[in-house]
Amino acid sequence: MTLAQAPIAVVAARRVTPVALLPRRTARSAMLGHVTDAEHGPAASDPTLDELLVATGTGDRAAFGALYDRTAPRVLGLVRRVVVDPAQAEEVAQDVFLEVWQTAPRFDAARGSAISWMFTLAHRRAVDRVRSAQSARDRDARIGARDLDVPVDSVAEAVEVRLDHERAHVALAELSELQRECVMLAYYGGLTQSEIAERLDVPLGTVKTRMRDGMIRLRRVMGVST
Amino acid sequence: MSEPEFPERREPDDLDALLAAYALDAVTDEERALVEARLAESPELRAELVAHREAAAALADAAAPVEPPPAMKASIFDRLDEVPQVPQVPAGSDESAAPVGPAPQARASGDAPDAMPAQAPAAVPASAAGQGDPGTSVAGPAERAARRRWFQRPVALVAAAAAAVLVIAGAVVGVNWPGPAGWGAQRAVEAIAAAPDAESVTVASTDGGEVTIVWSAELGRSAVRTSDLPDVGADSTYELWYIDDAGARPAGTFDPEDGAAYVVLEGEFSSGVVVGMTIEPAGGSEAPTTDPIVVVET
Repeated sequence: MTLAQAPIAVVAARRVTPVALLPRRTARSAMLGHVTDAEHGPAASDPTLDELLVATGTGDRAAFGALYDRTAPRVLGLVRRVVVDPAQAEEVAQDVFLEVWQTAPRFDAARGSAISWMFTLAHRRAVDRVRSAQSARDRDARIGARDLDVPVDSVAEAVEVRLDHERAHVALAELSELQRECVMLAYYGGLTQSEIAERLDVPLGTVKTRMRDGMIRLRRVMGVST
Repeated sequence: MSEPEFPERREPDDLDALLAAYALDAVTDEERALVEARLAESPELRAELVAHREAAAALADAAAPVEPPPAMKASIFDRLDEVPQVPQVPAGSDESAAPVGPAPQARASGDAPDAMPAQAPAAVPASAAGQGDPGTSVAGPAERAARRRWFQRPVALVAAAAAAVLVIAGAVVGVNWPGPAGWGAQRAVEAIAAAPDAESVTVASTDGGEVTIVWSAELGRSAVRTSDLPDVGADSTYELWYIDDAGARPAGTFDPEDGAAYVVLEGEFSSGVVVGMTIEPAGGSEAPTTDPIVVVET
């Protein structure tokens, strides 16, 4: 019914176990209470991000293009937030999308949403970039200057994207201040737990607890269940 | 909710906390390797990680979205041909997945790889962990057992041989794609080197350049770091092999930049296996087609 099922030559050329194609799109909503992608889709009939990513995994470039259009501002926004430098952020974001294309066949919707899968790739790469030698020296200065809202020059217009952005803000506001601080230093600052402990001058165990509790709280707020 | 004090069970709590940190990429290389090893063996943990990541999406979306420059899309599409897609793996495949990995290799004709004499390692550090199983010729049941384990490993460790790409264990959970010789690979190599039982050997390649092989039986992984390897051109590639009594298993190809590369070998490392390196036609081979330029016993 969707792009995902259109048979494509690339698939046949590969060694694909037929069962691999079966349970992909069904299991997830039962597994995770909250489905990010479905809620704010531009129109009910449009494919979900999950469907687009699955189709991308079959070599479908049109699906990849649509996936890009709908996620690029979010991905670039995240990378920009971590990497800060606009040119570097674009470079990283490009690599992220190439990696999305390359590894899309491994995406398994039963193990999480397309957008969290993509964010995971993007964040890993962004953190790699800031931890690399070249960037390390700029890091302290940057992190010190952060708060939740970093102004950027061009903000995405798409309603879908804006809604996700606003909802995320609301969710983050539900964390305690200490939890939020910890989680944000980790996620946006690219710091490890021990680096955070050092920066905040609190015991490592405290950081671990705050971070874990913060994530648990965030899961609850976001309606994520296992 | 704050619950500052932990009950007696320290270990699981530590792991919980570590997993949350891992979902935020707030871990060191060593911690990452540790978490990934645990993830590989625990479906519960993987489910937990998925939940953490769904929540982390809120953090990602809390960053102000940025409209990419129009040229970005085109420049990505221009490069799609350079990055062939990885092979698909069965969805939801865990230990129960049908094996999709390479069949045990037939021996390459002529130079049977396992019969190759090991080069004298230039600098062999004393075996710190005393893993003591220097034998490489004895395999039999133990090796077959290892192979069975290898076939049962989830996702990343199975489907690799056909693809001229590098997969490391993190792909178990569908992420961690460092790209061949990329910075992710460098970090992964360092993580292996940081394992308590890590050992390494540096040898000269017979074609020039130096290759350091690092392994950890505890992590079940090994990696190489190269320097000054000669450029083999676009038609050829370097390929790594795990060699044991059953023959040579492809362990990934790589193309160094300026002779340098960090590569985590595909597949499970087990103590006593021989690591080899050859130059193969671009895309790699299922079995070695040339004489090895590096051979190291572990």
